[in-house]
Amino acid sequence: MTTICVGVSHRQAPTALRERLAVPAALLPDRLRQLRELPGVREAMILSTCNRLEIFASADSREIAGDIQRTLDPAAAPLAACRFDEDALRHLFRITASLESMVLGEAQILGQVKEAAAQARQAGTLGPELQRLVERASTAAKRVRTETEIARGAVSLSSVAADLARKLLGDLADRAVLLIGAGEMAQLAARELRAQGVKELLVANRGLARAEELAREVDGLAVSLADLPALLVRADVVICSTGAEEYLVTRELVDQAVKARRYRPLFLVDLSLPRNVEPSANELENVYLYDLDDLERVAAQNRGQRQSQVGRAEEIVEEELRALLAQAHERHAVPVLARLRAHAEAVACAEAEKTIAALRGLDERQQRSVRAMANAIVNKLLHAPTARLRAEAGSGPLADAATALFGFDEAQGAIGGRHDRETLASHG
Amino acid sequence: METLLVHLALLAYAAGAAAFLTWLVRPDPRWAGAGRGLLFAGLVLHVASFASNIGVAGLGLGADSWKGGQLFSLLAALIVAGYLFLDRRGLAPIAGVVVAPLTLAVMVPAHLVATSEHAVVQPLWTSGALFVHVAAATLGTAVLALAFGLSALYLASERQAKSRRPGRLFARLTSLESIDRAGYRLAVWGFIFLSVAIGTGSLVSKAATGAVLPIAPKEGFALLAWALLAAMIQARLVAGWRGRRIAILVVVGFVLVAFVYVGLLSASPSLRGALALAIGVWP
Repeated sequence: MTTICVGVSHRQAPTALRERLAVPAALLPDRLRQLRELPGVREAMILSTCNRLEIFASADSREIAGDIQRTLDPAAAPLAACRFDEDALRHLFRITASLESMVLGEAQILGQVKEAAAQARQAGTLGPELQRLVERASTAAKRVRTETEIARGAVSLSSVAADLARKLLGDLADRAVLLIGAGEMAQLAARELRAQGVKELLVANRGLARAEELAREVDGLAVSLADLPALLVRADVVICSTGAEEYLVTRELVDQAVKARRYRPLFLVDLSLPRNVEPSANELENVYLYDLDDLERVAAQNRGQRQSQVGRAEEIVEEELRALLAQAHERHAVPVLARLRAHAEAVACAEAEKTIAALRGLDERQQRSVRAMANAIVNKLLHAPTARLRAEAGSGPLADAATALFGFDEAQGAIGGRHDRETLASHG
Repeated sequence: METLLVHLALLAYAAGAAAFLTWLVRPDPRWAGAGRGLLFAGLVLHVASFASNIGVAGLGLGADSWKGGQLFSLLAALIVAGYLFLDRRGLAPIAGVVVAPLTLAVMVPAHLVATSEHAVVQPLWTSGALFVHVAAATLGTAVLALAFGLSALYLASERQAKSRRPGRLFARLTSLESIDRAGYRLAVWGFIFLSVAIGTGSLVSKAATGAVLPIAPKEGFALLAWALLAAMIQARLVAGWRGRRIAILVVVGFVLVAFVYVGLLSASPSLRGALALAIGVWP
């Protein structure tokens, strides 16, 4: 059994090609079933996001990767990367931990991987192998998020502004935001703040008609720019993004507003070029002014911070990967151990019965003693081999040696469970 | 036994401070959890040391001598208890970064620096006013110490926000606003306790020396701190001051209260009796 990953991501394919590769949710069950029907494929899962298409499969041999690759768009197939076994597992772990994401540390990918597994389960193509992989990959991703700073700090300008507002003002539920101008980034920031639950979103523009149009777009309330002094008292966050050549929000205006606000903090975000808020307003008490450069600096700082966590995140991924592989090896070792024990117990049992029959006249207690002695000998003899086989986790020479020494491979072909033990017992 | 328990408590506080500082650098929530757990363990050991000594010396009333270190030890325990209480009510772990080292700063001199023994005047051995005075003064100082910690945290974080280059401290903060609010509320409680302490202190002073308000640096600092905190509350309520100005006033207020303790440790024997309660709970 081998694990295969065939995938194309933003690293190999341009957006136009990735668009063609993306599998719509409605078509996913059919695609999964097609994969499952390929000869030798036992399990399959498709992860389709705007940045990648990755097909994970549990199959009988590596050659099947070629068949999977041929199911892709002909333009994408040559670009697809094929990974096998440990490499494939590592790739899934890295994807889930957002180490392969376009924006390092982004939060959505973990949910997307879980969703891909849920859809495969629904389509009946997710089996125990891939299920275990996804569970362990999720564990690794959660550890990466909690034990490192890879997901900390906003990295887009609009989310940096929203993040700063929360840090400065606390709960935004009772806060009002004033949006001055129609800049795209200002709208993004306003939407982000709205999503965080701000009570009131005021939209001001030179023309009231444009303000009303904007207000509808961002679910806000249109106000007149002529009321700016009063609006600065009412709003706790002011996002400025106009094409004005002069300062719209002057230091004097802010100074008056701060006093009227009774020193409640005011967060000014100036996304305009040239700037619309007089820079010296930042010197006023309880006023925090950030312009484009400041936001970009914070975003770059956060990106750098995330990047610096990659090493630790990779260590966690490797730890979890090693643990998964060790578990897999141990699961592999269990059949050998089971057969060994069943064989030894069958021999001991047969010899004990033979002895009881030969001695004749033993009462029940004496018979029990003879059987217990035979069992005790088996346990003592098998203690060290069992421990060593477990430690070796079934992947090394000891498991093969035990199989060859006791003739398990001749006794039955496949790795067995109850059937194997029964067969061995009958041999004994 | 008491000494061993205090030793262990000190170690737990130190480990707690280390855990919080590690969390500042590596924000794994488990570090903050470990910090809280260690502070709690230290507090339990600390209280156990007090309890084991109460069995010997009673509640302090009736004690005839005391050591300065004992007071600091009690203060440290109250600061930790106050922090843990606030933590359960949603104070961010970032406060632990300030409070845990502050506890150590209070506890280490109490524990490691030898302090001389002072006599308590006989008329104060069974004074009820003394009990209230000591309780209010100690609680007030502990609460003000917490307010001081939060205000210092506010000032450092606000500086980072103003510089537009937010650092680790700012990154770990829940919000500047919540720190401002919590620091102010604690300062108000500190002011209330301080008022009670000054009122009952004058009764204790009258019993011990005959003077309701003796002219001495200690009393001067206490009154100055009280006036400053009163002005701070007035400014907040009437003029709406908040943030940096309030934080600076709280920091200065606490420093003045700290001077009271310096004055206390070198004061005349008569007023040292005001700390008799603390004596009974020190090994």
